[in-house]
Amino acid sequence: MTATSTTRDDTPVQGVARPLLELVEVSRVYGSAEAEVVALRNVSLQIMPGDFLSIMGPSGSGKSTMLGLLGCLDLPTSGIIRVGGHEVSSMPDDERSRVRGEEIGFVFQQFHLIPHLDALGNVETALLYRGLRAKERRERALASLDRVGLARRHDHRPVQLSGGEQQRVALARALVTEPKILLGDEPTGALDSKNAENVMALFASLQSPERAVVLVTHDPGVGEAAERRIKMRDGEIVADERWSR
Amino acid sequence: MGRLRELIAVALTGLFARRVRTALLLLGPTIGVAAIIAAVGLTDSAKGDLKRKVAELGTNLIEASAASSFGSQDPTLPEDAVERARTVVTVESVSQVVELANIVVAPYEEATENFETVPVPVLASDELLPGVLQVPMVSGRWLNEFDEDTGSRSAVIGIGLAREFDYLPGEVRSILLNGLEYAVIGVLDNVELEPAFDNAVFIPFAAADDDFVPADILPNKMYVRAREGSEDATAEALKVAVNLGGPDEVQTELKSEALELASQSDRQLQLIVVSMGLLAIIVGGIGIANVMSISVIQRSSEIGIRRALGHTRSTIAWQFIFEAIVVGVLGGILGVTLGVAAIGVGVSIAGWVFTLQPVLVPAGIALAVVISVVAGLYPAVRASRLEPLETLRLG
Repeated sequence: MTATSTTRDDTPVQGVARPLLELVEVSRVYGSAEAEVVALRNVSLQIMPGDFLSIMGPSGSGKSTMLGLLGCLDLPTSGIIRVGGHEVSSMPDDERSRVRGEEIGFVFQQFHLIPHLDALGNVETALLYRGLRAKERRERALASLDRVGLARRHDHRPVQLSGGEQQRVALARALVTEPKILLGDEPTGALDSKNAENVMALFASLQSPERAVVLVTHDPGVGEAAERRIKMRDGEIVADERWSR
Repeated sequence: MGRLRELIAVALTGLFARRVRTALLLLGPTIGVAAIIAAVGLTDSAKGDLKRKVAELGTNLIEASAASSFGSQDPTLPEDAVERARTVVTVESVSQVVELANIVVAPYEEATENFETVPVPVLASDELLPGVLQVPMVSGRWLNEFDEDTGSRSAVIGIGLAREFDYLPGEVRSILLNGLEYAVIGVLDNVELEPAFDNAVFIPFAAADDDFVPADILPNKMYVRAREGSEDATAEALKVAVNLGGPDEVQTELKSEALELASQSDRQLQLIVVSMGLLAIIVGGIGIANVMSISVIQRSSEIGIRRALGHTRSTIAWQFIFEAIVVGVLGGILGVTLGVAAIGVGVSIAGWVFTLQPVLVPAGIALAVVISVVAGLYPAVRASRLEPLETLRLG
């Protein structure tokens, strides 16, 4: 909790750096004409390299919708989404899947490991169908597991791992493709406080000048660990603040 | 090719992780292919056995019988039919018989009433018949010149009739033909080319003439052994040689062909069993479609993760199709193995020679694969259409 004594920094990121991910006047409407629900209303947002960003808001604020759009899992009703300069909102599904696989790494609240695969197999799944040799895939997956401190447990299946360990495997899986954007969806929501702290420390350590780490959460404890904090309400961004840690 | 290997590996680990479900998937194609292979193999083995039997019995036995073009009731052959037949150079041996009508055969007098309605063929025969048929005696002797010359009431019975009448080999017994007592002098062995003879009674021409035929006795059937290789020509030549322009016509038949014709019923049985196998494999396919559809629902979160990790829709579809292919290949191999084992058991019980067209092995596996893939298409497409956002329950 370092936010209390920091100075506010309202200036947008300057310089030549291009945004990794960009939302331009994006709206997302669910349902048909009579019963439509506007989950996101004309939202614009730029996520820059080096950002450690949190998106906070109560349930129903549109942050899950935001996550789906940022992760290229969903398409906007109107507006433009660019990832690494490519406009994904008008891409065919296959191409969008490829961009997602290359640019974005996901970490979910429920870990979402594949139960019948061991830790190594789960991490390797992210490297499938990329023209890699089996040996190279294995080595990279092992290195990624090593990065989260689980190389020695690579042959354990999810049921044999604790929640914290499972989330670290999920992190290793997200990192193995070297994504530019790491998206966490309530990544500590299913963990006890000690494991949550560990995982948050890992997330913080993953910040780099080339990468953006984005956490979507309703937990202020998690959100306030970030340097850039976006608050949402009723489908709109109500605050976008920079804090230094 | 790397992608192909990856898809196969993913399918194999997916199937191996859920062994019970995989076993359920395998049931259909396995049973279906096994049934089809066993049905075809067993009937082919039986057919092979028949061919062997026909080869053993000879294909050169011709039956020449009197037939009337004018519809007269009891057509006969000419008196010198045997001599006329021998004028055909390809004829090696000839025997003549008369099929006698309406004779009640009973083992003893008290039983006569019981046997009145049981048709037992009675034939007057010359002494050459077993030689032409190439069938040995089980016991006793065949009719001979002595029986002809003396007009004695001697009889030879077929092996089936001997069993029915509880005739012991060598036993001094008589049977009653229309109440007349005939001494049983011998038992003829099984006649495979003329199964009716197994239950027949054979008596000399002289006795038949005295006891049952009011007019002069004339033969109405001949059995002819022709030279190997000229059976058809001989059969044709006999018609002319025996008839010689007389009123009664002669029709001929190759006995081995009749035997093969009788095995046509086996074909129909094969058709039925193969249809049942096909039905089993189709039902199995429906089972695969069912189990895989449920599996797609159960694995929706896995599918969502894979999509989030960048796998495309078509990759997800292919993953499930490859699972179906693996199920088809495994089920096909298992089914062929089981089917071959079933043929082996059947063949050893029946004493046949194992016969299976080799092409059925790949064909059986291919059928299992095709059915599995067709069944897996719908679940695969459904899996590929799942929206990751809906399956991942984002928080």
